Amino acid sequence: MIVFRKPLPNIERPTMEADVVIVGGGPAGMACALRLAQLIDDHNAKHPDAPLSKDNIYVLEKAREVGAHCLSGALLDPRSMLELLPDFESEAPLEAAVVKEAVYYLTRNGKFKLPITPPPLRDHGNYVISINRFVKWLASKVEAAGITIFTGFAGSELLFEKGRVLGVRTDDKGVDKNGEPKSNFEPGYDLKAKVVILAEGSRGSLTKQLIGRFQLDHERNPQTYGIGVKELWELPPGRIAAGEVIYTMGYPLTFHEYGGAWIYGAHSNLVSLGFVTGLDYADPRIDPQRVLQEFKKHPFIAKLLESGKMVRYGAKSLPYGGWWCIPPVAGDGWMILGDSAGFLNSQRLKGIHLAIKSGMLAAETAYDAMAKADFSLDVLGKFQERVEKSWIKEELWPVRNFHQGFDKGFLSGMFHAGVQQITGGRGLKAHYSNHAGHLRMKQLSHLPADGGDDSHIINAAKGDGKLTFDKVTDVYYSGTKHEEDQPAHLVIQDTDICNERCVREYGNPCKNFCPANVYEMVEATDTPSGLQIHLNASNCVHCKTCDIMDPYEIITWVPPEGGGGPNYEGM
Amino acid sequence: MADTILVVVEQREGKLNRVSWETLAGAQALAAETGWVLEAAVVGSGVGDVAAEVAAKKVSKVYDIESSKLEPYTPDGFVAALKSFIEEKKPKLVLMPHTYQVRDFVPKLATALHRSLISDAIGYKYEGGKLLFTRQMFQGKFVADVSFTGDAPYFATFQSGAYRGDKVEDGGASARVETVNVAIADGVIRNKPEAPFKEAKQAVDLTQAEIIVSVGRGIKEQKNIELAQQLATALGGEIAASRPICDSGWLPMDRQVGSSGQTVAPKLYLALGISGAIQHVVGMKGAHSIIAINKDSEAPIFEIADIAVVGNLFDIVPPLIEEVKKAKGT
Repeated sequence: MIVFRKPLPNIERPTMEADVVIVGGGPAGMACALRLAQLIDDHNAKHPDAPLSKDNIYVLEKAREVGAHCLSGALLDPRSMLELLPDFESEAPLEAAVVKEAVYYLTRNGKFKLPITPPPLRDHGNYVISINRFVKWLASKVEAAGITIFTGFAGSELLFEKGRVLGVRTDDKGVDKNGEPKSNFEPGYDLKAKVVILAEGSRGSLTKQLIGRFQLDHERNPQTYGIGVKELWELPPGRIAAGEVIYTMGYPLTFHEYGGAWIYGAHSNLVSLGFVTGLDYADPRIDPQRVLQEFKKHPFIAKLLESGKMVRYGAKSLPYGGWWCIPPVAGDGWMILGDSAGFLNSQRLKGIHLAIKSGMLAAETAYDAMAKADFSLDVLGKFQERVEKSWIKEELWPVRNFHQGFDKGFLSGMFHAGVQQITGGRGLKAHYSNHAGHLRMKQLSHLPADGGDDSHIINAAKGDGKLTFDKVTDVYYSGTKHEEDQPAHLVIQDTDICNERCVREYGNPCKNFCPANVYEMVEATDTPSGLQIHLNASNCVHCKTCDIMDPYEIITWVPPEGGGGPNYEGM
Repeated sequence: MADTILVVVEQREGKLNRVSWETLAGAQALAAETGWVLEAAVVGSGVGDVAAEVAAKKVSKVYDIESSKLEPYTPDGFVAALKSFIEEKKPKLVLMPHTYQVRDFVPKLATALHRSLISDAIGYKYEGGKLLFTRQMFQGKFVADVSFTGDAPYFATFQSGAYRGDKVEDGGASARVETVNVAIADGVIRNKPEAPFKEAKQAVDLTQAEIIVSVGRGIKEQKNIELAQQLATALGGEIAASRPICDSGWLPMDRQVGSSGQTVAPKLYLALGISGAIQHVVGMKGAHSIIAINKDSEAPIFEIADIAVVGNLFDIVPPLIEEVKKAKGT
C-alpha cells in the first residue's frame, strides 16, 4: 500500500502574519520580490514619516538552495531585466551574448538549414544564461534588499476563506512513509498573508488548486504543455562557440508530434542541449527522455557531441498554450505569475523575460496595496489590467493562435503559422481552440504494435553510456535527492486504475513520460493484470509531467518535504 | 513574597544531564537580570546527592522532591509530584531543560495547572519588566520573541545548547536542601514503564566489512533474502542491497549501498541480481574484487565486474554456499 502525502489532519500549527507571500523563488518570484523592495525603498525615501516595512514579505522556495529547481535552456531576452535593473548586464552571470543562430529541419539522416532564420527565432541581443546561476544572483539582490527567502519550505496548500485566499500552509516536515510523524516532526506553518503571489513555475500545485477552486479555466483554452529534457555537455574546444544558438525541427519526431531541439553554446565549452516534446502526442509509449537520446544519435548531432561528456541532466514541463490559455491572474488575495499563469511565447520559445515582467507588475500592484493599506479585490485586481496594458500582451497577442494552429499536426501548424504571420496573428479565425494534450493520447488497441513511424521513440532508451543514456543514468546526473522516509508526493487518486484499466488501455504511459523513472510497473500476485504500480518518488525531478499527461487525470503532484528535489547547479 | 524562578533539573541514575546544567546557567542569568530568587528542584527517589550537587551552585535553595513512586520515571508520577509542589510554592517561572523526558510530561503538567508553556526556547529577554522567550521558527531562519499571557506560574523549557553548562556559577556556601516528601496516591500512576530506551546498537557498519553479499531486484521475493544471507554467513561477510530492496522494506535502510545509502570498498563484493544502475555503482565501485551474478548478459554491472556470471542466481547460489562451506570445512 502506498501512502500519499497530505497535510497531517488535526494538529496545531504555528501561524504567522505576513503582508506578502511569494510562493516560488524562480525568475518571476525573485523579480517580484526585488521590484517590491525597490518600490518600498523609494516610498520610504519620499515618505520618511510613513515608512512601509519589508519585514513581512516572504519568498517560499521548496529547493534547499535558491535556483536548484530552476531549469530552462536558457536564452534571456533582456527587455524586462533592463527595466528592473538597468545596469544588470555589467554584473549578472551571463554566459554569452548570442553571436550566431541557425535553424535546421532534420530528417532521419539528413538536415536542411533554413536559408533565413525566421524572425521569432532571431536571437541577437539575447543572452545565453544558466537560469540556475542567474536566479541565484537575483536572489542575492533580493536578500540584500532585505526580503526574507525561506529555502526548503514548500507551499503545500492554500488557505481559503469563502471566495478569498487567506494564506499558505507550508509543508509538514518529518513525516514517515506511513504518514506518521517522526521524532523530528515539525508541522507546516500557516502563513496568513494579505496577498499570496503564486510564482511556482509550470503547472504549479497551488495554482492548480486555485484554478480548480474558482474555476479559473472557465472560458479559456485548456493549457497545453511540452516537456523539455535537457543535458549539459562539456565539448572539446572549438565545437560550438559561446553564444551560438541552433534550433532543430523534425527528427526524431514525426509529423504527428510537436516539438524541437535547442543547442546553446555557453562559456567554458559547456553546451546546453535539450529537446522539447509536446505533451499532446498520441502514442502512450512515447518517451521524451528517449526522444532526446534519439536526437543525439542523428549524425549531425552525434558528430557535434563526439568525445564530449554529459555533465548534468534535467527535465521540466513548460506551458505553451499562449494567450487564450492564461487564467485570470488576479483575484481576492492572490496573483499568478510567470509559467504558473502561462506567460510564455511559444513562437519564440521564451518565457523568462515575461515571467520577470509579470513579477514586476505584480510587485507594483502589491506595493499599491501596501501603500494604501488596502488589499481588496479592487486594488489587487489591477494586476490584470497592468498585464493587459503592458508589453506582455503586446508580445503574446500576435502569437495567440500560434500553438493552437498545431492542434492537427505539424504540417497544418506550419500552414496556420504562415497565415497568422500575414494577418497579425489572427489566422483563419479569431480564436483558435485546442484540446488538452492528454486527451489526444490513443489507446494501444488503436496503434500499431511496433509503434509504426514512432517505433524509434517509444519505450525506454537503452543508452550506450557515452552518447546516449538510459533514464536511470540520466537521473543520476540531475543530482536529485529527497528524504527517503516520507509519504509519496505523487498522489494517485485510485491505483486500481493504474493496475487494471491503464495496463489494458494505455500500457501505463507514466513509466514512459516520466523523465526520472519515478513510475514503474512491477510484478504483483494480487492484481488481475499481474502488474502493480510502484513509485520511486525520491527520483522525482519536479517536472510535473505526470500531473499533466496522465490520460485519466488521477495523478496530482504535490510538493514533497521541502529541501528535496533535483540539484540543477549550473544548469 | 519575592518572585521565584524554579528550575526543575533532570537526573537519571543519580546524574544530571548536560542540558540541566545549561538551563541552570540560563536561569542564573535570568535571576541576576530580574532580581528574582532562584531555586532548583530535583525529582526522584533517593536523589539527595544530586540535590546536594546542585546546592553547591549559586541558587537560593534546592528542593529534593522524593517519593518511592518517582522511580522509575512516569509522566503521571512526575506531574502528580510537581503539580502539588508548584501549587504550594507558587513560583513565578518554572524552567526546565527541553529533553525527551520533559517533553513527555511538561505539557500535561502545564495543562493540569491551566497555564501556558513556551517550549524549546533558545534564550530570554527581559525588557521593561516584561519577560520574553526567544524561539526558532522556519528551522532557525527566524526567531520569534514570545511572551506569556495569563497568570503565573509560567512554564518554559530551554533548548540544548542555549546556554553553556560550564558557565554555571558556584555559590559561596552550599544552599539549603529541603527534602519534600510527596505523597502520590495509589492509582494515580497509570503508566507502566518498560526498561529505558537505549540507542540501538551501532547500526551495521558496512564500510568495515571485508566481504559483502549484495542483493538486487533479481532476488524476486523477500523470502529469498535468506538465501543471500546464508551465502554471506558462509563467507563470513555482511549482507547488503540495492535501493529497491530496502525501499520495499526487505532489508533495513542501513544496508543500502549506493548514492542514497552507504559507500563501501570491501575486498569482495558479490552482486546478486543487481543490474548496476549508476546510483548503485557509485557506492561500491571501490571494491577490490567484484563478482556479479545476473541473468541479463547486458546488465551494466558486468562493465565493472571482475568476474561476470551470466545465469540464474537461484541455480548458482545454493551450490556456491555448499562449496564455500566445504572449502572452509564448516
